Amino acid sequence: MSVSDETLMAFADGELASDERAAVEAALAGDVALRERLEAHQRLRARLSSAFDGALNESVPERLTEAARPPVGEVVTLADLRARRWSVREWGAMAASIAAGLVIGIGIMNAQAPMIASSNGELTARGALAEALDTQLASDAPDVVRIGLSFASQDGGYCRTFSITRSDTSGLACREGNGWAIAMTAQGGGGEVRMAGAPEAILGAVDAIIVGEPLDQRGEEQARARGWR
Amino acid sequence: MTSAAQQTRSDIVAMLPRLRRFARALTGQVADADDIVQIAVERALMRIDQFQTGTRLDSWLFSIVRNAWIDEARSRTRRGKVFAPAELGEQIGNDGVAEAHSKLEADDVWMAMRKLPEEQREAVALVCVEGLAYREAAEALGVPIGTLTSRLARGREALQVMLG
Repeated sequence: MSVSDETLMAFADGELASDERAAVEAALAGDVALRERLEAHQRLRARLSSAFDGALNESVPERLTEAARPPVGEVVTLADLRARRWSVREWGAMAASIAAGLVIGIGIMNAQAPMIASSNGELTARGALAEALDTQLASDAPDVVRIGLSFASQDGGYCRTFSITRSDTSGLACREGNGWAIAMTAQGGGGEVRMAGAPEAILGAVDAIIVGEPLDQRGEEQARARGWR
Repeated sequence: MTSAAQQTRSDIVAMLPRLRRFARALTGQVADADDIVQIAVERALMRIDQFQTGTRLDSWLFSIVRNAWIDEARSRTRRGKVFAPAELGEQIGNDGVAEAHSKLEADDVWMAMRKLPEEQREAVALVCVEGLAYREAAEALGVPIGTLTSRLARGREALQVMLG
């Protein structure tokens, strides 16, 4: 029996099923050249692992263990909340802790022209943000708000990513009734410089809930014509 | 943070030596490897909720390390920076650590790995250095298993030729 290089390699790597393995073993018994090829595989594998195994015995640099360490105490301050990714649950918890209907005054929620407000324990888009989510296309020149991706979510409704140009904040809003529920926000992606994408936290959330591809311009126009329903 | 996420964090810490080994095989440079591992750990923690408990943490982390390396290599190419050719032994200063690093990097196996095409090197690193099964390695790289085995075979053949 002749044994192909790939079969021999799979044999050396312990990847063959038992019947194939038995066939190779039988071939090896009567074939010196084949045994030499197998030994070459084994030698290479041993050389490769010994060349890099040093990393297993060295002490790991502190900056790496530091990077994996949880934040001390997990004390949640407002600054922490603003700096890091917000989950729906965190928004909900925070919203619930504030009297219903009260306008929250952080970041993009400034008191004069709030763009996000809490009502009945939910955060919803207001003012310029609500208007942009209703009417603005991704291709439109950004004013106060820039629209990123629009897409259908697993809940069956439409969601849109946005960024607030003046506060370097991006977020994800999903259609609920006649309004837009704010699913999350994150720092980054806003600002004056037109950036290609939203922060990774937002894109991660999009990946998790998107169905199919994001809408193209035509898709956005059609969805807008139907009131994002 | 959920306790599952806490557990995943400490599992990541325990994985650091293997992540460093994999990154060294991938980059062929000690310092670059640690930079890549740091980037990957930060990314993994950002997406810790996406990790599904019960699936293999090592495959998940290896794929994050590998993607971090590809991104880094691309951005260096864009910025026109070349990788320092370690075989020239031009380490700045002569402290012991740098010396140990350049000695490692000048190893025949390290040099041969650096010469492999990226896709062959990552296949060899996952299977022959990290000991992943073909299926796990294929999943970490996001390729069909047949693609993985042919890259692995070509990579090994090239290494055999270079290392004699």
